Amino acid sequence: MAVPGSGRPFNLSVITPEHNVFEGPVKFLVVPAFDGEIGILRDHAPLMALLGEGTLRLVTEQGTRRFRVSGGFVQVLDNEVSVLSESAAEA
Amino acid sequence: MSKTRDIRRRIRSIQSTRQITHTMEMVAASKLRRAQDRVRAARPYAAKLAEVISSLFAPELAEKYPILRQPAKLRRSALVLITSNRGLAGGFNVNLIRMARSLLGELRDDGVDVEFHVIGRKGINFFQFRREPMASRRQDITDRPSMEDARSVIDPLIPRFESGELDAIDVVYAHFKNALSTPPTRMRVLPVSPPGEGRGARAHNYLFEPSAEEILTTVLPLYVRNAVYRALVESAAAEQGARMTAMKNATDNADELIKTLTLQYNKARQAQITQELTEITGGSEALRG
Repeated sequence: MAVPGSGRPFNLSVITPEHNVFEGPVKFLVVPAFDGEIGILRDHAPLMALLGEGTLRLVTEQGTRRFRVSGGFVQVLDNEVSVLSESAAEA
Repeated sequence: MSKTRDIRRRIRSIQSTRQITHTMEMVAASKLRRAQDRVRAARPYAAKLAEVISSLFAPELAEKYPILRQPAKLRRSALVLITSNRGLAGGFNVNLIRMARSLLGELRDDGVDVEFHVIGRKGINFFQFRREPMASRRQDITDRPSMEDARSVIDPLIPRFESGELDAIDVVYAHFKNALSTPPTRMRVLPVSPPGEGRGARAHNYLFEPSAEEILTTVLPLYVRNAVYRALVESAAAEQGARMTAMKNATDNADELIKTLTLQYNKARQAQITQELTEITGGSEALRG
């Protein structure tokens, strides 16, 4: 039996001041929070967390992508996830 | 005889000026397009930040966190003026400088000790000439401002606001409404006036990591920095818009001038020919006579 919410997509946007780095459906997301990684699936409870330095991983139908982020925060609400960071570069 | 040559010389000179202004108009138009894209790209981040802050903000936090303090009375403040490094943009810099001067005067009349920071060569030159003391002058910000630029402008000022050394930070910049309307605007970046009143968030039962207050105090400097970044980006776009309009007007004026001068030239040439003909016929009449 799979974890509830796994395998089903939710919306993610990764936004920096300069531009939108990523926008679209993902199946799984790991963000580097200030005190360790947080994994997010569909139907995650509303969450606001500060990010530290590290790698953000997202899993889409097309595969896994990684971004280096430093600082910022993540907001989860009703299957809309926003990651805001002053820098996010594809790694 | 010499009149036609004079007119021809003027036409040629105006034509080459026209070529320059026309080229500058084209260059500004293409730079404007890219600058506009950057303004647009900056919107989602700003909107999200504002949304999060307004949902986290509660008036009672203002006493606990220095970055939220709302000074009752202004004693010392900082004014940051954003102008361009290049001219030939019509009234762009003049309008910004005028606004900064009236603001300086206003604050000083209220007994505020104002510290003046100027970005852009045009503003620096003006205030240097007026012997206005400037706390910092920067010419290194290009027409493609980055977050790094914004950080270097505002980051030294934020702690000084928190410590109580400064009571307010204002930015004067050109607000980019559209390519034709770019009014000079004053924005108070600190103290932060929270966008909208605090509600919403706590109703959603958020999990906070680490806590709502910590998140707010981390996010607020991002918000302030982003406000400055947007001011820089919008000013850069506004500068190109103003230059494009100014150069378009100059090109149109040149066209107009060339038209009237060409008319004058043709008239003069015609008069000359007529006169020569009369002289020749007059001469042959006399011979026959």
